[in-house]
Amino acid sequence: MLEIEKLRVIFPDRKNFIFKDLSLSIPSGQKVLIVGPSGSGKSTLLQILAGLIPSVIEVPLKADRLQVDSNYGMVFQDPDSQFCMPYVDEEIAFVLENRQVPSREMKEKIQRILARVDLQLEDIHTPINQLSGGMKQRLAIACALALQPDVLFLDEPTALLDAEGTKQVWDTIKSIQDEQTIVIIEHKIEFVSDIVDRVIMLDDQGELVADGSPTRVFQDHKQMFDQFGIWHPSSWSDYLVSRTPQHKGNDRTAHTLIELDSASGYYHKNREILVDKAVINKGDWIAITGPNGSGKSTLVQMIMQLINTKGSIHYFFAEQNLPIYQKIAFVFQNPELQFVTNSVYQELAFSLTSKDTDKKAKIKEHLKRYRLEQVNDHHPYQLSVGQKRRLSVATATIKVDDIIILDEPTFGQDAINTFMMLDCLEELRQKGITIVMVTHDQQIVDHFATKEWKIDQGQLVEEKYHDLFQSEKVGVSSHAL
Amino acid sequence: MHFELNYQQTWLHLLHPVLKFIIVLVLFIAILFIHNPTILLYLLIGFGVLYIGWTGHSLKLISLLSIPFFIIFVSSATSMMFFGEGNTTWYQFGLIHITEESFYRGLHLGFRGILFGLLGLLFALTTRPVLLFYSSMQSLKLNPKYAYAFMAAINLLPIMVSEFQNLRNALKVRGVTYDRGVKGFYQRIQRFSIPLLAQSIRRAHRTAIAMEAKQFSNDRTYYYQVSYSLKDLYFITLIVTIIVFSIWLSTIYPVFPVDNVRMD
Amino acid sequence: MRKGLTRTDILVTIMIALIFSVIYKIWGPLYNVLSVFGLHIDQLIYGMWFMAATVAFLIIRKPGVALLAELAAAQGEFLFGGQWGVSLLLYGFVQGIGCEVVFAIFKYKSYHLLTVCLAAVGATIGSLVLDIFYGYIDQLALWNLTLLIVARLIGAILITGVFAFYIVKALEKTGVTKLIRPLSSKDYQSLEKETG
Repeated sequence: MLEIEKLRVIFPDRKNFIFKDLSLSIPSGQKVLIVGPSGSGKSTLLQILAGLIPSVIEVPLKADRLQVDSNYGMVFQDPDSQFCMPYVDEEIAFVLENRQVPSREMKEKIQRILARVDLQLEDIHTPINQLSGGMKQRLAIACALALQPDVLFLDEPTALLDAEGTKQVWDTIKSIQDEQTIVIIEHKIEFVSDIVDRVIMLDDQGELVADGSPTRVFQDHKQMFDQFGIWHPSSWSDYLVSRTPQHKGNDRTAHTLIELDSASGYYHKNREILVDKAVINKGDWIAITGPNGSGKSTLVQMIMQLINTKGSIHYFFAEQNLPIYQKIAFVFQNPELQFVTNSVYQELAFSLTSKDTDKKAKIKEHLKRYRLEQVNDHHPYQLSVGQKRRLSVATATIKVDDIIILDEPTFGQDAINTFMMLDCLEELRQKGITIVMVTHDQQIVDHFATKEWKIDQGQLVEEKYHDLFQSEKVGVSSHAL
Repeated sequence: MHFELNYQQTWLHLLHPVLKFIIVLVLFIAILFIHNPTILLYLLIGFGVLYIGWTGHSLKLISLLSIPFFIIFVSSATSMMFFGEGNTTWYQFGLIHITEESFYRGLHLGFRGILFGLLGLLFALTTRPVLLFYSSMQSLKLNPKYAYAFMAAINLLPIMVSEFQNLRNALKVRGVTYDRGVKGFYQRIQRFSIPLLAQSIRRAHRTAIAMEAKQFSNDRTYYYQVSYSLKDLYFITLIVTIIVFSIWLSTIYPVFPVDNVRMD
Repeated sequence: MRKGLTRTDILVTIMIALIFSVIYKIWGPLYNVLSVFGLHIDQLIYGMWFMAATVAFLIIRKPGVALLAELAAAQGEFLFGGQWGVSLLLYGFVQGIGCEVVFAIFKYKSYHLLTVCLAAVGATIGSLVLDIFYGYIDQLALWNLTLLIVARLIGAILITGVFAFYIVKALEKTGVTKLIRPLSSKDYQSLEKETG
């Protein structure tokens, strides 16, 4: 039984309460989903229910009653910052050591736990950094299970995974659940709805606005799901209906911007990507797809001339005396790395050169277009996830207006931010800007891309035109490998 | 950066990590009390053979790692050779004043510099950090909170390195330029250090919370039981032999005409 | 409010330290190249090796952080095969103590530029004491020894003091330091207000 009564939480330097007199009780064995917009304090609530706040994380808090269960396991969002050891077996052993399991029993227990989460490894002594995101998260579940918990807390465990990894993780969670209480935070409720028997909804003020069975809450509050940007099974269809359909055909007469001919990209001395023949035309929206590690990011880095290349890549646009990587707008996966100043406004100003006229108007226009007016004096690092992403696109597009390349820009974003981003990009494309985007999202490929480049094992294997719905195999002969 | 290098495991890898560490530490202190350059030269040969032959790493890596030794030698030696005190002048030009005493003292410092570097690499190349910390917790009673924090932080470093590469590209794309000279150097460090520090602090913070959520406890059992073996005895015997042999050789074949580089 | 180092503080401190140990490792060859010129030009950049201590302390602001950071950075440099081998640990210790003592004199409550510069001086003194045993520096000609000390002091004050201070100032603007710094009683009082 988890119980809180009249909980008050406020973060230092903030005016508003995260929670003001929130009460909640979760009986043992219940499977609960907590949903809400970003900033509603879901993670904070989870950490309070686990007792991590205030014992480990210091946050001002008071409550009339606070009953937590110290026998819990937790899975966090980021696969890369929840392990303290380099190898799979060592990480689970860390948990077993904490529970003072005798060392001779460990090997066998590790194997049993890994089997439970269906993580089949040839050798349990496998480096964690060789696992895929989905496998890492299943290892995190294994660690939580090794604690033999009464309560399992899952804090958006699939937010940073691709579709395949997401499915693996939820399948695993379905298969392991039994008596224990499970509390889940998730933005994509498609997979979760048949696991949970209760849904709790928080609004952006941290107020409890809905509480009931999944079907009830989904039916009665569907509009709020959209408003909060939570992914649900009909998010995409609703969005596609609402938006004015845009013509997205390929204009074959459009002039070529970039032409690749037997181009290959190298890291150190290894060839990581090979493209036999491909062109990027004005007005294209090219979606680059393929499995993890197949070379998608390497391909865009090659086009950007950020890595060593061989073969030929021709660029047919604006003659300026600049290196290629400054003539193409580029948005990195982690937007923070692109920020170089102390405020949103300065960030945009930085992109403009002294030659640019009418700087102020230009910045103002971009602030407006990307809905950043309210935060124009904030430090870029202090923005929300969606704002950071928009700012990174804004800094790129304010400077260059031929072509923009984005590396998984919708990754880990909620529905509102994803759709806002797509609208922005489509608007740019209508103005004649070419878009090249690495993505895992089939919906984007189907509804926005004019061309799809499929990458597999370091090669462009297929170029698919989306106006004609016909597949044109790219002539890459197998001996090229 | 490759923390997991390919190597052949040799008997040096199988030594008790803490014992190996203590031996290296004792050697370090002992060498500080040796003022005879000839002994150092022989020690250098002895440990050099061990370093080249028995770390289990490729000759390519070993030679690559040895390049700095030459610079260490020159840099440790020159200051003392040119500017050290001494009575028997060999050469004088302006501020430079090379004396017999300062020359050999410089030479001695050069040997010592190489020797310390070599011993450090000998240890680093044959010891997995995880085992060193496990054995420190078991034999030295190192508090687990320090040991695991260390292992966790080492684990996060490769992510930082790839983030560093992304950052470098991101700054190029943004068109960041730097001034020349010291000012540019300062700008460069600032541009890189703020994002990298911010990211790594956040990541370390998250990892620390995840470790607490795994119910990190100071009362614990150990997955790896680190124990002593006969190899440890062989190693100690070998080290003592190298030292005794070097001292003995230095009395028979004194390569340099001085046996104490310190001036009284 | 919490006193003493939590496990989170320790991990964050060691993380910062390890980043510096990578920098320290790269600094080695650079320092060597400069020392070939003689005249202690190398000493001007010596202060980099004290920087883990001041940066970590300014970020976390707790007793023991400066010493722990400097020791951990040295241990890291050693494990990465740093050219000075085990001697690094002794240097890390004395340099860390040098900083720690200065921060302690101000009861760990002062984060001013001047305090940080004094910590840099503290670390310099620590390193010089060890150099007497290690590098025979007492046997340099007097003018040369003076040059060494002055160069190292100037470098330390600039790098360990001024530079570290401004790096952390810039870092504060990103908001990341809020994650780890201890709270004040004022932060708790705001729980009692009725509005908001």
